Amino acid sequence: MMKLSYVKKAILTAACVALCVVLPMAFHAIPNAGSIYCPMHIPVLLCGLICGAPFGLLCGLLGPLASALITQMPPMAYLPPMLVELAVYGLVAGLLMGVIKTKHLYADLYGSLVVAMVAGRIVAGAAKALIFAPGKITLAAWAGAYFVTALPGIALQLALIPSIVVALEKAKLIPARYPKKKTA
Amino acid sequence: MNGYRMGYVERSSILHRLDGLSKLLFLLLYLAAVIITERVAGFLLLAAVLLLCARLGEVPYRTVVGGLWQLRFFFLLIFLMNFSFFDAEHAFFSWWIFSFSREGLFFGAKMVVRVICAVAAGNLFTAVTTPVAMTGAMETLLHPLQWIGVPTRDVAMILGVAIQFVPLFLREADTIKMAQTARGAPFTSRKLTERIGCVLPLVIPVFLSAFKRADELACAMEARGYVRKKGRLPLRKRTFYKADFLCVCGGAALCILAILVF
Repeated sequence: MMKLSYVKKAILTAACVALCVVLPMAFHAIPNAGSIYCPMHIPVLLCGLICGAPFGLLCGLLGPLASALITQMPPMAYLPPMLVELAVYGLVAGLLMGVIKTKHLYADLYGSLVVAMVAGRIVAGAAKALIFAPGKITLAAWAGAYFVTALPGIALQLALIPSIVVALEKAKLIPARYPKKKTA
Repeated sequence: MNGYRMGYVERSSILHRLDGLSKLLFLLLYLAAVIITERVAGFLLLAAVLLLCARLGEVPYRTVVGGLWQLRFFFLLIFLMNFSFFDAEHAFFSWWIFSFSREGLFFGAKMVVRVICAVAAGNLFTAVTTPVAMTGAMETLLHPLQWIGVPTRDVAMILGVAIQFVPLFLREADTIKMAQTARGAPFTSRKLTERIGCVLPLVIPVFLSAFKRADELACAMEARGYVRKKGRLPLRKRTFYKADFLCVCGGAALCILAILVF
């Protein structure tokens, strides 16, 4: 299987960081879209799945930072917990994509995606409870903010991300994970 | 989307001409002074410095303080949390878990002023510094992390390329949006469900076009022999003029004043 070179991974990560700035702007027409549809999560998860854990982690850190610097969204006050959440998404998605190999692309993608999304939310909740807002966040508030409010975003991510990966493979922009063997 | 306010305000003022690193160092020192300051006179001085910098940078005041209104509920929350929980012993009014004290009132107000100063300083910094200069400054500041194995040059390169990609992707997203509008997509509809339905089909084409651009750039870089190795030199050499030293010294003086006087 042909692998992505270091330079290509780095540039794809840069593209995902740029999409972390552009996608929330596209969703800007919808009120409160940031917390409902979580558009910034899509490029970070995608970067982790395609480029691997280190690049996913980097995208999770640089994406919100670049967006805050360029568009002042998210505001600096909300940035630290978001950095933690997105960094875990990218890292876990990349790590699991390297570990899970079921010979079925969709199974690999959904396995990695679901675990990364849950892990990111748990770590972000723990970070808020222990570091960023100690004693001010309850279990109900955490579940409400990260699972109930973001439910449309979760559904959107589960529907879109595997489709994007398959579309990128079909367009030959990333190497196929399980290339079809050529018959003589 | 093209009309969206990016942080940078294009001018040719003294602040715009300063090196990104000196502005970043000044910002960090200013933030340190904001954290250290305890007295009202100190905060007034810091606010005056900020307004003077906005004047020197020819940045409209509404750019510096414009985003603060969006954070009003956050400021209110900070104030109320500090006011109602700060000091239970000297409270002038207590109810259930809440204890309102004079000290809490001052501490809450102080916290809000600190956050306002920090946000306004950040806004001013992004208004007078190009994203590329910011990346270069961050690379220099992050340089010591190389000793523990963090590839700071690559991180800076990724951030730099990402910042260059942003306007390009915005244009492409706009083109795709116009194509969808031509096919009858109701982007300006008053119905929220219709607007959501329009945004979603944008996502996959935007990703495909972004990855295509990234693939082309990566191929071009590989073809030109881009490799990860030490000793690569930047295109433009950083020059630190007298004004840059003055800027950093000004920040340091603010910090010292905050420690000794305020």
